Amino acid sequence: MSVLKVQNLSHTYGGNTPFYSDAVSNVSFTVEQGEMIGIIGHTGSGKSTLVQHLNGILKPTEGEIFIDEENIWERPKEIRKIRSKVGLVFQYPEYQLFEETVFADIAFGPKNMGLMGDELKKRVLDTCRLIGVKDEYLEKSPFDLSGGEKRRVAIAGVMAMRPKIIVFDEPTAGLDPKGRQDIIKIINDYRTAYNATVIIISHSMEDMAVMADKLIVMSKGEVVMLDKTEKVFAQGDRLRSIGLNVPIVTRVFDALRQKGISVPDDVFTVERAVEALKQIKAGDRNA
Amino acid sequence: MSNIIEIKNVTYNYIEDEVEYTAVDNVSLDIKRGSFTVILGHNGSGKSTLAKMMNGLNKPTAGDIVVDGINTKDEETELLVKRKVGMVFQNPDNQLVASIVEEDVAFGPENLGLEPQLIRKRVDEALESVGMAEFKDSTPHHLSGGQKQRIAIAGMIAMRPECLILDEPTAMLDPKGRAEIITTIEHLNKQGMTVVLITHYMEEAQNADRVLVMNDGKFIADGTPKEIFKNVSMLKSVGLDVPQTTELLYELNQNGISVPTDVLSIEETANAIAAFLEEK
Repeated sequence: MSVLKVQNLSHTYGGNTPFYSDAVSNVSFTVEQGEMIGIIGHTGSGKSTLVQHLNGILKPTEGEIFIDEENIWERPKEIRKIRSKVGLVFQYPEYQLFEETVFADIAFGPKNMGLMGDELKKRVLDTCRLIGVKDEYLEKSPFDLSGGEKRRVAIAGVMAMRPKIIVFDEPTAGLDPKGRQDIIKIINDYRTAYNATVIIISHSMEDMAVMADKLIVMSKGEVVMLDKTEKVFAQGDRLRSIGLNVPIVTRVFDALRQKGISVPDDVFTVERAVEALKQIKAGDRNA
Repeated sequence: MSNIIEIKNVTYNYIEDEVEYTAVDNVSLDIKRGSFTVILGHNGSGKSTLAKMMNGLNKPTAGDIVVDGINTKDEETELLVKRKVGMVFQNPDNQLVASIVEEDVAFGPENLGLEPQLIRKRVDEALESVGMAEFKDSTPHHLSGGQKQRIAIAGMIAMRPECLILDEPTAMLDPKGRAEIITTIEHLNKQGMTVVLITHYMEEAQNADRVLVMNDGKFIADGTPKEIFKNVSMLKSVGLDVPQTTELLYELNQNGISVPTDVLSIEETANAIAAFLEEK
């Protein structure tokens, strides 16, 4: 049973105006519980528009979205309920912090879901522990935190609702390398702790190679590729034709192949590259 | 080559909640005319504070910064310093002021009180040099992030600064936008502009003349890109990352495969690996 099913989804902005444009056209895919899906595509390819449909922020112009086999727009008045199942972390989520304390900000979502008292407190504290926000921060104003900390608190606010599907729109944009690694760790930890389904929009092919089980490749509002990560990255020419590329380590292996050296074509991470080169050298010695 | 900027024993302290912090700690650096310098460092390492001192936006708590012979502390020449050193920041949306591209680029020269014909000439040349001439009549908010950032750079160039300081100009851009900006910066430098680029993306430093690594308000490394990138463990220890090519060569060495670590490009890396595979 798929946890998420998107069927023939299209979204048009500014219908009946001169600014009419198709942001997403006829997109279909399914996601299983616990999968990590990456969405790649250059700016303006429709990625953000697509994910904003997944928790009902945008309503499809055409097509349906099913969460746990239930059409989320069947009862439009209850669309808010879907947000406790599907959490969406926007780009630069730290700009959306608004409460007086870190605690209140993280508690906002679960409180709206009806959690109160000790249960609410426990939920907030558990979430803080998961993402590494120290207890002493809870009574601080979120505006006194550093950029990276603010982002973690904003993500905690979504994670505190314990969504079974959590969607991130470029979660590491604008952060330094350490900050990026912290966020990736939090995402992995949440997924492991709650067997959550994770959908992540990213510009980093290197990050996606390590993290994603499957990739959805978007171009001009359409899904042009949807496959296991290794199968997508095996099609470098096709990715380049839509302004994307394969991870740098893959490009090094492509360059080796062009020199007439026989190397495997499934190398997308540094770890795999080291392993492959060791094997080749060992094979040489045995030959 | 003469120095366009001289940073002499500069310290910058700031006070927050009645506690004094040191953002830049007794730093000295000379920026040579026409050079391309990259300052690397994680958030909070002091690199932005230092950048803002180079065009007088921040004044040193101790020490001196001299721009083309003028001390930035001298209030009478403050505007002159800002004219000599142009700054470009992270978020392109915060730097654009007009609703038409060419008007935005003209904003600076207009404020300099130049003749209309001269403004026209400078705007056209500036847009040309960042590869945005064909967009002169466009609306900035319809452009991509990389294009907007190039307009911001053009706005600075139109003021004819001696030196351009860019503080994480690519942090909010996608890979295509980042490539556009780096190409633009390298092009401007080749035409003679002194460039100081502040970033935490190592690969953007590849073609720099000089790379400095900043941590806790101090420079902890100074050298050519190849010299700096060789030191993977040092870079990682201060929360920085290395290009995946460097990472691969580093990991190969860690695994007993001896390959040179002072190469950067994909081609050079492939050559290094090919040489290793051919060894018997």
